[in-house]
Amino acid sequence: MTARPDPLIHPITRLSICGLLAAGADWVEFAALRDAAGISDSVLSKQSRVLEDAGYVEVRKGAVGRRPRTWFRLTAEGRQAVQGHLAWLAQLEEAVSASTWDAQQARPLPGDRDQPRRVLPPLLGSS
Amino acid sequence: MRDVARDPAALELLRVQRSRLADRMRPRWWYLTGVAIMYALVFAVPFTSQFLGVSIWPIFAAASAVACLLQWGMTRATGIKMGFRNLRYPAAGRPTRIAVVVVSLAAIATEHFLIDRGLPAAAIVVAALAVAAEVALLQAALRGIRQELRAGGAA
Repeated sequence: MTARPDPLIHPITRLSICGLLAAGADWVEFAALRDAAGISDSVLSKQSRVLEDAGYVEVRKGAVGRRPRTWFRLTAEGRQAVQGHLAWLAQLEEAVSASTWDAQQARPLPGDRDQPRRVLPPLLGSS
Repeated sequence: MRDVARDPAALELLRVQRSRLADRMRPRWWYLTGVAIMYALVFAVPFTSQFLGVSIWPIFAAASAVACLLQWGMTRATGIKMGFRNLRYPAAGRPTRIAVVVVSLAAIATEHFLIDRGLPAAAIVVAALAVAAEVALLQAALRGIRQELRAGGAA
């Protein structure tokens, strides 16, 4: 799998939708996806249509009694794109956390400022 | 729309969202009750075949019907359709699936053994324990699925 950014999955709402569909479920229902992603009905409808048009998401519409039900799942192409994008994000996360750690190492600790003063006088006095 | 190119916190947000999705897979009381009824039917087979002369197949047909109904209900209640992926999924629940088969075979064999030796009360106790064990194993399997959903293991 190649870690590379995908401009279509790049916006956070689409990343949420694709990331949730790639979590392991076969099909996820509209309400479950909306609640898990924490987005509104209209946003989910709009973004899922964009993903469907791109061939990343498959949509199945049905009904239980009078209530319409919409189910989503990732296509093979969508799954590949999500995996690549998530791997790229994971690499980015690693790089950011490594650089933060380096910055923390380089910055002197509060006690470090006094350290030379405490060590140097006895040495100077002894010479 | 917020850009995520320089925001690895997006991954943290996705972890929270996946956790929310996984929480929907918690079994409801009716699901666990239904599973207990289904296994009670399965473990009643040694009794029905011995004392009532009923063949295995009507009981298994009834148990299968209950299982299908439960699966349909669970999918409808959670909004998540798991489907059959392969025998290795979820990885965390693999030993659980083996345990389900072992407990089923061992319980039925023990029940037959006890009934043949004129100990039906002991066989009932074994059947009740087996039903409790199967329900506990199912909960463990669902815990495994929730764990995989949280980790995005199938991604």
